[in-house]
Parts: sequence; structure tokens; C-alpha cells
Amino acid sequence: MNGFRRVLPLLALAALAAAGCMLTSGQFAVTYGLPDPITVNSSLVETFDVDLNTVSEYNDHKDQIKRVEDMALVGQFTNNGASEAQIEVWLVRDPSAIGPPQQNGTRLWGPLTLAGHASEKVDWDRSAALFDGRQALIDEVKGDGNFRLYIVTTGLVSVTVTKGSLIVVVGAAV
Amino acid sequence: MNRTWWAIVIVAALLAPAARAGTIAIAGGVFGGMSFPVLQDDQSQGPIFGARIPVRLAALLAVEPFYSTSALGDKTIETSPGFSVTRSGSDVTTYGVNALLPFGTKTLLYPFGGIGSARFQRDGADESFTSYDLGLGLGLTLIPKLMLDVRGELQMASSGETSRKMFNVTLGATYSIFNTP
Repeated sequence: MNGFRRVLPLLALAALAAAGCMLTSGQFAVTYGLPDPITVNSSLVETFDVDLNTVSEYNDHKDQIKRVEDMALVGQFTNNGASEAQIEVWLVRDPSAIGPPQQNGTRLWGPLTLAGHASEKVDWDRSAALFDGRQALIDEVKGDGNFRLYIVTTGLVSVTVTKGSLIVVVGAAV
Repeated sequence: MNRTWWAIVIVAALLAPAARAGTIAIAGGVFGGMSFPVLQDDQSQGPIFGARIPVRLAALLAVEPFYSTSALGDKTIETSPGFSVTRSGSDVTTYGVNALLPFGTKTLLYPFGGIGSARFQRDGADESFTSYDLGLGLGLTLIPKLMLDVRGELQMASSGETSRKMFNVTLGATYSIFNTP
């Protein structure tokens, strides 16, 4: 048992050393401000380019990103029309692809349903639960950090997004 | 998960010879304290509670199955001027086993380390990780069979390449239940 007692701390130290960057990693929130406001009218698609390289938290860790831990698209979403609106965000890996994002891309987020003339603050918790295309965004975040998002609405509606931001929490070495 | 079960098998293997040698002492304890996330931008500190069953195999060594639950705190960030959003902290459930190296008799100083499984749950996220912990405890026997202990530990829930780390500070009470003659 004495031998075991001596060996145990050494095993613990060896495990810590083997853990390496696991020990020296953290979770960092990258917040990218979207154009303000964004308005999408009657089933048309509004696009905007995201360049995470303009965010210092991303630049500081971009070479050490191992995981994307959490994602959210937050903001004040307002349905300016009388009919119910559904809002989705799509990501197309190749922006030069011809056709609607539903044919060439991956739905990243949504649908968010808004009643006529309703306005909703989409908070971090609510938004994180609406993400369903996590892997597509993970690939982009771990890639060059440049990608194009498409906001798509259904029906004859007009939706405005104000104070919108994309939040990505990355797991990275420090 | 597999690593946790291996640890439990190893503990069982350690228990068998100690039981034959008649050196086992079993206790039951509860604890509570605070869990502080380390380098995590998306949650803040929250309370932690749990229970453990220290099994003294010899004067030199004890093992301790444990269970804990913590509710990490919410994090609010301002994404644009005048517009803040909040992320709920994770509810973390951890179970596993520690190995302790006690020094002393009535007052114990014991470094410890352990392995287990930690499940993080919150809106839109439910993930389980292998959890490692390493810490230092101080136990004071106030009356026979009852010990108060203070512990500080670094818990590391590993995804393989990165980990979520928490520094846990707890105060506990342990009651001696059974001693082999």
C-alpha cells in the first residue's frame, strides 16, 4: 500500500501532463454585430456577410479553436405585417451557388414564429434552442471565419431585426 | 463513461484485499459550497451540493464514491448598446470516485484526485464529459465519528481537446458508519 501511495501522486501528475491543452483551454464568447436594422420583405431573402476576423476574441484564439460550445442569434425581431411570420437563417457554403439557400445550404437556425404585428426579444437561451445546423456553422468557425448568412421569411410579411448579433462560444487553447 | 466504470472496477479490486485484512472503515458525508467556472465566458459561479462515501482502506489510503450537483450562474452580456442577453448557467451533475491520501489522525490533510462523469444541461445543450478532479482537503474531528472538512478542488470536464473547468470550494460533514474490528 505504501508503494501505491507513492505512485498515486506521480500518476496524477502524469495525467495532468497528458491533459496538456485540456488544462490550458477556455470558453470564449465571440459576439458579431449584424447590420442594424435588417428588413426582410415578403418571402425575399436578405443576405449578409459575417467576418469573425473583425472580432478580437476570435482573432486571439482562431488558431487554437477546438470546439464550438454554444451558438445564438439574438436581437429584437418585429413582424411588421398582419399575418404570422416564420423566420429562418440559412448558411450556404458556396455563395456563388445559383438558387435559393434552401436548395444549396443548411438551415442554421429557426423557425422563429411571430404573430402579426408582434415583436419579440430573442434572448440567448431562446436562440440557442433554435439552432439546428450546428455542424455547418462549426465548420465555418473552425475554417476562415468568413461566411454568408441568409434570412428567409415565409408568407407575405415584412420582418425587421434590430440590434442583431451572432454569438459563438468557442472552446480554445489559451 | 467507460473510464468511470474502469475506475469503479479498480476501486472494487482495491477493496477486496483490504476487506480481508480487516482494515475497512466506511463513512457517509454530505457537502455544499460554491463552484467557480474558470475561463468560461458563458456562465458564472453557483452553488454545489453532494454526497460521498469515504472508504478507508488503510491508514494510508481511502477511496470515495461521490455524487454532486451544481447550478452554475447565468451570464449576461451586452451585445449592442442598450441591448443585453442572458445565458442560463448549466446544471452540472457529476458522479465518480476519488482516491485520497490522508495525513494525520484527528486532523487530516489529504490531497485527492478522481475521475467521473459530468453532465451539463441547459436550454439547447445536454452533453456528458469525462470529469477529472484534483484537490486538497482538511478534515477536523470535532466529536468521535464526526468530521468536518473543507476542500478545494479543480474539476475538469473534458471533451477530449478542451475542457470546462470549475474550481469548487466545499464544506462538508462526514459521519463514520462502520469499522471492521
